[in-house]
Amino acid sequence: MMKLNIFHRTDPGRYEIFKRQQDLVHSLGMKTSVFLHYFDLFQDHIVADALAYQAAFGDEIGLALNRLEGPGMDDISRGLEHIWLFDEEQKRQLMEMALSKFKDVFGRMPTAVTSYHFDSSALRILKEIAPEVEGIVGGCFEEGVRVFHGCNHSWYLFNEGMPWGPWFPAKGHTLRPAAETEDWSGVVAVPHLARDMSLSFEGRNDFWASHPPNVIRGMGNDASFCPYDLNLIDQYRMQADFNGHTYYNTFVGTQWLTWNHNSEYPPEVAWELYTKQLTYFKQLKEQGELEDLTLTEYARWHKESRPFAEPEVYLAKEMLYQSHKHYFWHIDTDLRVLIDANQGGSIGDLRAYIGRVEKATGPDTPSRENGAYPYLIQSQYRTGYPNHSFDGSRTTLKLVKNGEEVDLCSTPTKVASVERSSAGSRMVLTPAKAVFPDGSTVEVETTYTIEPGGKITIKRSLSGDTEGILATEYFKGAPGCTEYPIDLHGIQLQVMDATGTQEMDYLYRRRRLEVDAPECVAAVVPQVNARVMMSAAKGAKPSSGLAREGNLFEPYFVLELTYDTNTSTEFSTCLIITA
Amino acid sequence: MSDHHRITKRCPVCFSRDIDVLLTQRDGIWACVKCSFNGTEAEIRGMYRDIQKKYHGMIERYTLEDQRKL
Ligand SMILES: [Zn+2]
Repeated sequence: MMKLNIFHRTDPGRYEIFKRQQDLVHSLGMKTSVFLHYFDLFQDHIVADALAYQAAFGDEIGLALNRLEGPGMDDISRGLEHIWLFDEEQKRQLMEMALSKFKDVFGRMPTAVTSYHFDSSALRILKEIAPEVEGIVGGCFEEGVRVFHGCNHSWYLFNEGMPWGPWFPAKGHTLRPAAETEDWSGVVAVPHLARDMSLSFEGRNDFWASHPPNVIRGMGNDASFCPYDLNLIDQYRMQADFNGHTYYNTFVGTQWLTWNHNSEYPPEVAWELYTKQLTYFKQLKEQGELEDLTLTEYARWHKESRPFAEPEVYLAKEMLYQSHKHYFWHIDTDLRVLIDANQGGSIGDLRAYIGRVEKATGPDTPSRENGAYPYLIQSQYRTGYPNHSFDGSRTTLKLVKNGEEVDLCSTPTKVASVERSSAGSRMVLTPAKAVFPDGSTVEVETTYTIEPGGKITIKRSLSGDTEGILATEYFKGAPGCTEYPIDLHGIQLQVMDATGTQEMDYLYRRRRLEVDAPECVAAVVPQVNARVMMSAAKGAKPSSGLAREGNLFEPYFVLELTYDTNTSTEFSTCLIITA
Repeated sequence: MSDHHRITKRCPVCFSRDIDVLLTQRDGIWACVKCSFNGTEAEIRGMYRDIQKKYHGMIERYTLEDQRKL
C-alpha cells in the first residue's frame, strides 16, 4: 500500500492556477494539504476558500514557511525566503509572526508546516511556539552541491545525508532519524518530494523527482509524453515488497504550471503531465493500492505504526538511461548506507548517524548555510573509483594474484535478493567475475548484513581459480559535507594485534601502520564523532592489516584487512561504526 | 503561436553540464552569458534533442512488474 500526500501552496499572484490545481485533485476524488504563507493569511478570499476546501473535501490547512514576506515581516526577512538561514532570534521573530497570525485567522495553531528544510533550532523554536505541530515537510533528499552548481551556484539549500522517506527528526540534527523518544524533536517529517534513488545520487536531485514539471526541467519528457513520471511512482511502490509499505508525495508550486524559465514548453505540457500523474494516483486508489492522506493524517499514522528504530531499505533500479544499474540503500537510526551494485557492491555513501553529530544552521552557527549530515564516504564528490590519479572514498575488495590486481569496483553486479526486518537488512549480490591477465577467473559472491548499532558484515565467497589469491577488504574514507575536503587533523589511526595497539595521529604524511594477524584496524574520526573499525568476523583470520593516512593531494584515510585464500575461500568482515 | 515570445531557452552547453542558464536573444541569435555558446533557435532545439539521446528509457514505461524483473 502506498501512502500519498498531495501538497499545494496558495499564491495570490497566481491564484487561478492554485484553484485549478485544487479542482483537478478534487475532481479525481482525492484530497490535498493546502499550505498558506504568512501573506496569504491577510487575504480573506484565500482563507475562505481554504476553509471551504476543508469542509467539502477534507483538505488540511497548514502553514507554508517557504516564503517569508508580508506586513511586518519584510523588515526582518529582507528578501531571504529560507527559515533555516536566519539566526535564532530572527527565526523566532518570523515564526512567531506567522504562527500567531495563523492562530488569529483559524482559531488554532497549524498541525502541518512546510519548508524546504528545518534545521535543529528552527524546528525547536517551531515546536516551542506551536507544540500542536505534528507533521512537517522537512528536507529535500540529497539536495546540496549539485543543485547549487545547477542553479549557477546560487541555490543555498544544503541538506544532504537525510532519509528518503518519512522520519522522526532527531533534536540535535533534524536530518538524522531519532533513536528514541528522548532523542526526538516531536514531529514526523516527510521529504519534499520523492526523489529518484539512482539519479539523485549521481546528479541533480531536482530533475528526477515526483514533480512532473521538474522532469521537464531535466528534459526527461518528449512534450506531454513522459512515462518516467509513472515509472518513478512504480519504483516507490516496489519498495513495499521490502518495507511492507511505501510513501510518496507531490508538491507542485504554481510557478511550474505557467510560463517557467526552466522549461522550453508552454504551460499546457506541464498541466498535462501533472494531470497524468494525479490520474495515475486516482487509478491506484481505485485499485486499493494507494491511500491519499493529509500531512497530519500521515504523521499520525506514522506515529502509531512506525517504531523509532525500524530499518528501511530502498532498491533502486535506474530506468531513464536504461543502464538498469542497481543501488541498494539502507537506513536505520545509526547508519545510512548506499551500496553500488554496479561497482561490485562498493559502499558509495556512508553517514554515521551513530555519531549523533549536532547541527543548526544560520549566521550565528559555525555551519552557516550547510545543514547536511556529514558523510564518511561520498564516492561521487570524493572520487570513489580511480579515474584520474588516486581513488577516493569508497570500499572495495581487491584481489591480487601474482602481483596483478583486480578491483571489485570494476566488476558490475546486481542485487540478487533483499530481506529486511526490525533486526536489519540482508542483501545478496549476483557473483562478481574477476578476470586476471593470465585468463584465470575468480567469482566473488558478496552478502551484506546491516544491523542497528552501526554493524555492517560483509561476507565474501570466492570460487574458481582462487589458488594464490590474496583478498583485501578495503575502506577509504574522509569526513565532509561538500565536494571539497575538510581538515583531517584529529583523526587517529589504529591497528591492533594480540600484543597490543599501535596508534598514529593524522598528519598528511602518507605514513602507514602495518600488522600481521590483526585483531582490528580502525580510525577515530572526531569530525563525525565516530570510530570506524574493521575486524574479521568469527572464524575468519586475516593475514595482515593496515591503516594509512593520506596527504593533501589524497586527503583520505585507508583501512585494510588482507585474507590469504589458501586458508579459506570464504571470509566475513565486520565494519563497525561506533560513537 | 502568439505566446511564442514567452518561451525561454536555456543554454544547451551549460545544460549539458547540468547548469541552468538562460540565453539572451539579439537579432535572431541566442547567446549565453556564462559560456561562449551562441546559435539560432533551430540549432538550440537540435542540441536539446542531442542532450536527450542519452535517455534511452525516456519513452519506456516500466510497470511495477517490469521493475521487479529489472
Ligand atoms: Zn552557456
